[in-house]
Amino acid sequence: MGRIVVLPDSVVDQIAAGEVVERPASVVKELVENSLDAGASEIVIELEAGGSSLVRVSDDGCGMDRDDAVLAINRHATSKIRSSRDLVGVATYGFRGEALAAIAAVSTLELETAVEEDGGVGTRVRAVAGKIESVDRIARRRGTAVSVRRLFFNVPARRKFLRSLRSETRAAVEAVVLLALARLDVSFRLVSEGRVLLDAPRTSQIAERLAALFGRRFAEELLPVDFASGAISVRGFVQRPADARPAGRRAYLFVNGRPFKDPLLVRAAEAGYRAAINPGCRPSILLAISLPGESVDVNVHPAKLEVRFRDRFLVERAVEEAVARALRPMEAAAAFGSGSVGFRSGEFMAAVAPGLSGGEASPVTEGSLFGEAESRAPLAPGGVGNPIQVFATYIVFETPDGLAIVDQHSAHERVLYEAAMAQLKSGGAAAQHLLLPLTIELEPSELAAFEEHRDLFRSVGFEAEAFGGNTVVLHAVPNPHPRFDARRCFEELVADLTRGRFGAWKNRLERFAATYACRAAIKAGQLLEPVEIRELLSRLFACELPPHDVHGRPAIVQLPRAELERRFGRS
Amino acid sequence: MKFTIAREQLQEGLTAVAPSVPAKTTLPVLGNLLVEATKDGVRLSATDLDVAVTTVVPAEIDSEGGVTLPARKLVEIVRELPNAGVRVSAIGDQRVQIECGRSKFKLLGIPKEEFPRFPPVKFDRPWRVTSGDLQKLIEHVAFAASTEESRPILNGVLWELRPERMRMVATNGHRLARMELPAAGGKDSADLIVPPKALEQVRRLFDPSEELEVARTDNHLGFRSGQTRVFTRLIEGPYPNYEQVIPRENDKIATVDRQMLTAALRRVGVVASDQTHRVRLAFSGGTLRFSVNTPDLGEAHDEIAVSYQGDPLEIGFNASYLLEILKYMPTDEVRLTFKAPERAATVEPVGWDDPASYLCLVMPLRLID
Repeated sequence: MGRIVVLPDSVVDQIAAGEVVERPASVVKELVENSLDAGASEIVIELEAGGSSLVRVSDDGCGMDRDDAVLAINRHATSKIRSSRDLVGVATYGFRGEALAAIAAVSTLELETAVEEDGGVGTRVRAVAGKIESVDRIARRRGTAVSVRRLFFNVPARRKFLRSLRSETRAAVEAVVLLALARLDVSFRLVSEGRVLLDAPRTSQIAERLAALFGRRFAEELLPVDFASGAISVRGFVQRPADARPAGRRAYLFVNGRPFKDPLLVRAAEAGYRAAINPGCRPSILLAISLPGESVDVNVHPAKLEVRFRDRFLVERAVEEAVARALRPMEAAAAFGSGSVGFRSGEFMAAVAPGLSGGEASPVTEGSLFGEAESRAPLAPGGVGNPIQVFATYIVFETPDGLAIVDQHSAHERVLYEAAMAQLKSGGAAAQHLLLPLTIELEPSELAAFEEHRDLFRSVGFEAEAFGGNTVVLHAVPNPHPRFDARRCFEELVADLTRGRFGAWKNRLERFAATYACRAAIKAGQLLEPVEIRELLSRLFACELPPHDVHGRPAIVQLPRAELERRFGRS
Repeated sequence: MKFTIAREQLQEGLTAVAPSVPAKTTLPVLGNLLVEATKDGVRLSATDLDVAVTTVVPAEIDSEGGVTLPARKLVEIVRELPNAGVRVSAIGDQRVQIECGRSKFKLLGIPKEEFPRFPPVKFDRPWRVTSGDLQKLIEHVAFAASTEESRPILNGVLWELRPERMRMVATNGHRLARMELPAAGGKDSADLIVPPKALEQVRRLFDPSEELEVARTDNHLGFRSGQTRVFTRLIEGPYPNYEQVIPRENDKIATVDRQMLTAALRRVGVVASDQTHRVRLAFSGGTLRFSVNTPDLGEAHDEIAVSYQGDPLEIGFNASYLLEILKYMPTDEVRLTFKAPERAATVEPVGWDDPASYLCLVMPLRLID
């Protein structure tokens, strides 16, 4: 008896605080979300010592009257839901009603707030470790300001685990960035030690907000995503494959306007790149998923960083497809100079091979991450002119707004990669049986590599059998193009697999397909007939991702007409 | 160098040699024709370094000598000149004046010393073949040679000369054509591997009734009749043992109307993939069914009546290989023979009234279900 007791509220609050308030950044997040829920249009965040000395969030939202202000410090006091029924499909950021209480429990908190109706008279509540010390009347305009001082002063263990000032500041900025991405209609300003770290005025243009948050250069590397499949829609931006770098990627996911973390969805988005980026590089992605409230459960984690989807597979597929489609248009090709050639593969197909045009490109859209997407006016389908080959390596053709330059090897690689992936998944390509079988001598290690990938060799069309010793005999070979050299392709493919080239690819099929595509494709320096050039282009533009090869290099580079005009002094 | 020549004569000579001028070349002198005034007449020569063609046309020679002139411009000028005597005279060693009536041209050429000389071929003990026989072999076989550069030997046409017969064989490793003629070629046996473009010049230049002298010196082969000669480099190396891949046990035999087969293949071929042109053929009883299924595009089905003996068979082919072979088949009906879906099929003419024997062979494509 007496060993089990009900914990006093102060301890319960500290435990809850441990879940919600992990570091200053979580305080920032909770407070800013409260501001947003209060309908603020201007939010200012001030930090001192990375937030551990002071986090102050002030807004021009609706504010609270005296009674509410006192109640707000208590746990599970919320204006946002009334019963458990409201938990399904929550439309506000906060709802658990524990944030303010949890923060108050581990800090010295000062709440200043006023509502419109009280005409300039507001309330100030001071609390230390969750205990209200004073409630005063103050003069104040509408809105709320929460100052959190001495965070974790009564939880030394937690305080010890705070990271460097810089890292805490960064985390706080990141928390604001997430919310700033979601709410263009609110201006955000973050000041740390008197320095403005973030200043994002209200705007209706997502591009403006992106430039304000990340800089204009990054904003220009982004390609718009706009895709809907059934009730799921995916909007946002992904980085042009050519601009993806090994470090410093930004990945932001939102569901119904609420930021969340989901490594699996980030992976799905990367899968949408279809090997268009170097295996080592990570593209930045900013994706907003909207789906009906009942298909997603956001009440999984106190910090609301995780969400649960009713049908995760469907969401992952939509994200992957959305990204793949965003990369398909010509805008996704690497550009030099400024501007874009403004040309889409669907039009190219229509122009180059009337009647062959299969996959239409999804319309590229601009506008808010979440708002109604506005379709760019369709371009008038123009002729492509006559593609010409230069340096026996590149194909150049005219587009309505500039010149497109295609690397013939990269382009062919892309074509063969997608074909090989289809063959590997579906069980096999057409293989040409040989009248005169090819006998090929391998190294022992190469023979082992061949044996290990034998099923894949067979799928793309190599029918080989061991012939004793390290010799294999090819009875049938793929026939991807008339200039295909089966022996050389096979030897190089085996050598690549042995040496682990493309080793960065985790997926065995992708690795094999990329290696095969690289070795089977026409080489740079190969003169092509005009009919072959057209064939290559029409097959390239029938691909899922024409502008990118499988090594993360561009297959198409565009020279915008505007850039030419600038260089010739015409503009 | 100075000579006078009838425009028609000059035109005739140019028509013989100009097609041997390579369309693209990195060596500028190869774009020129070598024009030489000799005591026999005017000798015109062209080469692309692999094949050389020369001919001599009668002319009134005032002084001997030679120069090379840009082939295309020379042909265009001569084509536009009136039918009259053309007076050609060298000014220095690389300029030429051409006069005809009141027209006058000056052309800048390249000294003849820069024109590559082809190694001489001695015609002292030649084979003698009828041009018409050679043309027949070339027409039916040369198409099958490989154009892909990885196995140079297959870029050539094997020409077997035997005392009582001659035979040509060409293959790209996927399909093969072979034709044999009884012929009294002469003395020695020889196996020559000849570039198809040399054979094409031979086929084009000589009248079917002419008797050609053919001779080999080292690695070069020469053909001549009258004043016209074709020289070519031979491709070295042993030709693959094609005899051993010609099937002898094909036990499924179909006799098909060539035009019906061609038409059906062309129809279903419309939706075949651009790369492999894969068509599935199903033989059963008196019917040959065609089907094509190309993911992302669609499918096609067709059928024709055939006479077929053997167990039912399904086999895949590259339609373009079959169509090409059918194009060269000289009879209305053709016989196809098969063993199994992964083994070589043969195509032969049926009821050909000719001493020649002709066989084509095509390897199937793997079928996927």
